[in-house]
Amino acid sequence: MILLRIIIDALFLIGGFFALAGVVGVIRMPDSYCRMQASTNTATLGALGILAGTSLYGFFVLNSLAIGVKSIVIGLFILFSNPVASHAIARAAKRCGVYMLNKSGCDQYGRDNPQ
Amino acid sequence: MTGFNVELTITAAFYGLLCIALLYRVIKGPHAVDRVIAGDSIDSMTVVIMALFGALSNRAVYFDMALIVSLLGFISTVVISRYLEGRS
Repeated sequence: MILLRIIIDALFLIGGFFALAGVVGVIRMPDSYCRMQASTNTATLGALGILAGTSLYGFFVLNSLAIGVKSIVIGLFILFSNPVASHAIARAAKRCGVYMLNKSGCDQYGRDNPQ
Repeated sequence: MTGFNVELTITAAFYGLLCIALLYRVIKGPHAVDRVIAGDSIDSMTVVIMALFGALSNRAVYFDMALIVSLLGFISTVVISRYLEGRS
C-alpha cells in the first residue's frame, strides 16, 4: 500500500512539475509561437500525469471502477484533442499575421506558401 | 489510507494557483492569440482540478463534468482559430 502511495505521489509530482514549467513558459516566452509550444506542454504532460495518478487512486485505493475508467477516458481525450487544437491556433496565428521574433527564425510555413 | 487526501488537496491548490498565474497572460496578452492560448491552458487546468476533486470526494460525476469542460475547451479553441483566420 505504501508503494502505491509512492507511485501516485510521483505521478502527481511529475504532472505538477510539467504544469509549472508550461505555465512559466506561457508567461515568460518572448514570442506568441513559443507560448503556444509551452501551453501544449501544460495540457499534455501536466494533465496526463495527474489523470494517471487519479486513475490508479480510483482503481486501487477507492476500489471504484467508475473513477478509474473515467479518468483514463479523459486522459485519452486530452491526448487526441490537444494536438489538433494547438495546430488550429498556430495556423490561425500565422495566417493572422502575428508578430514572429526573427530569432526563432525557422518560418517553414511562410516559405512554403508566401502571403 | 485516510491520510491520502493531503496529496489531492495540495495538488488541486497548486493547480489553482497556476490558473491564477495564467490570468496574467490572459489580461496582458498583446494579441488575441495569446489570450486564446492562456484560456485553453486554464481549461485543461480546470479539468485537472475537477478530476482531483472528484477523486477526493469519491464522486464520479466530477469526472463527467471534467470531460465536458475539456470538450468545450477544445471546441472553443478550434472555433476561435477559425474566426481569427477569417479576420486576417
